[in-house]
Amino acid sequence: MEGSFGALYIAYSIVWLGVFAYLAYMYLRQHSIDKDIRSLKEEVAKHVK
Amino acid sequence: MEKSKLGRIILVGAAILMLLTTYLAVIYVPLPQTSVKSADKILSSVEGSRIRVAGFVSEVYAKDTNIITGSYLFRFSIADFSDYQRYIAAAAGDQLDSQWWTVRPIDVVLRNPPGTFLLSVGGTWDSAGTGTNLSVLAVVVGSGIGPNSNITGFHLRTYSQEDITVGASPGQFGIMTAPVAQKIFYFHMPSAWVSYLAFFVTLVASALYLRTRDIKYDRWAFSSAELGVLFSTIAITTGPVWAKQEWGVYWRWDDTKLVTTFVLWLVYIGYLMLRASMTDTGTRARVGAVYGILGFVTVPMSLLSSRVAPLLQSSHPQVIASSSGSLSPEAGMTIGIAIIAFTLLFITMLIRRVEIAESEEELEELKRTIGGED
Repeated sequence: MEGSFGALYIAYSIVWLGVFAYLAYMYLRQHSIDKDIRSLKEEVAKHVK
Repeated sequence: MEKSKLGRIILVGAAILMLLTTYLAVIYVPLPQTSVKSADKILSSVEGSRIRVAGFVSEVYAKDTNIITGSYLFRFSIADFSDYQRYIAAAAGDQLDSQWWTVRPIDVVLRNPPGTFLLSVGGTWDSAGTGTNLSVLAVVVGSGIGPNSNITGFHLRTYSQEDITVGASPGQFGIMTAPVAQKIFYFHMPSAWVSYLAFFVTLVASALYLRTRDIKYDRWAFSSAELGVLFSTIAITTGPVWAKQEWGVYWRWDDTKLVTTFVLWLVYIGYLMLRASMTDTGTRARVGAVYGILGFVTVPMSLLSSRVAPLLQSSHPQVIASSSGSLSPEAGMTIGIAIIAFTLLFITMLIRRVEIAESEEELEELKRTIGGED
């Protein structure tokens, strides 16, 4: 029975960690893209001036 | 702005439902009963299927004169019973305050059909009077069961010919050695369901891209495939955690459900890798769309493989859309909430992932425009 509870914890951890890891990945990816876009736009604006 | 606010609300709703599912699965849903079927009913639905853990409940009606002492004999016919020493067979009855009647080392006799062993466990009971119903439970369980072990059927015989009851049952009909681990099902199954849904979205979006050449469909196809891989990875890793508890092994290469799902997972990993290897947007979208359509053939293969279990040999339980499977109302409600939670989670993650894909394209376009492409 104890082994079964261990398996349950492991499986639920996989689910929650998997979902949260992907959400974190999406957040960080969006953050990094926004940062790159902002800096490129600033670069362009500098050259236009 | 409004769209992202709605997305956040759906995400919070999905998270709450997932928390609720966790609570319901762990606390609310009772542990599976050791048996829910009558022996005769089970016999008709199990013939030919491969099983790891077996047992049955049989109602024995003592209609003769007083049965002071009864006898019983369980016979489990098991193919390739190479790991037999780890098996135990036991019997219990409600006439003795639900005590186990006997737990004894098995007696293996080689006199069954070629290639099979016959396991017999016998014993006696007392205090069963005329008109008494005896509820007899017979279970054979094994840990570290060999990959080719195959229980093909068993029967119960009582001392009176008229009381003979024959039955057989696989683990998926309610006899389980790891009822706690069964609760993994409430997350495993919705993950698998959402991955099938995601790959279906990829199929539709890919077809729409090929028809219209509108790049927005390519974004939907790719984003959905990525999420499908995420959820199928969750399903494919939580399944073996359960299998180790219930079957004694993490994985079985002779199980069609497992193998076809693994192939499905590899195919969509290949989809993501193929796309990542291409730099030209048009080519990537076109090749991805064709791959997304052809790759979908693995979804019905995986989905239907356990439904034709006797033909294709799968021990994977089938609970939904199965006449033989059964769920308690509590379990049904919990799995329903879990499916809604995962579907909402998938929808909101998909919308968010598509927005990120749009931003990625905007960044690429900007880099191209100013000539700063890597």
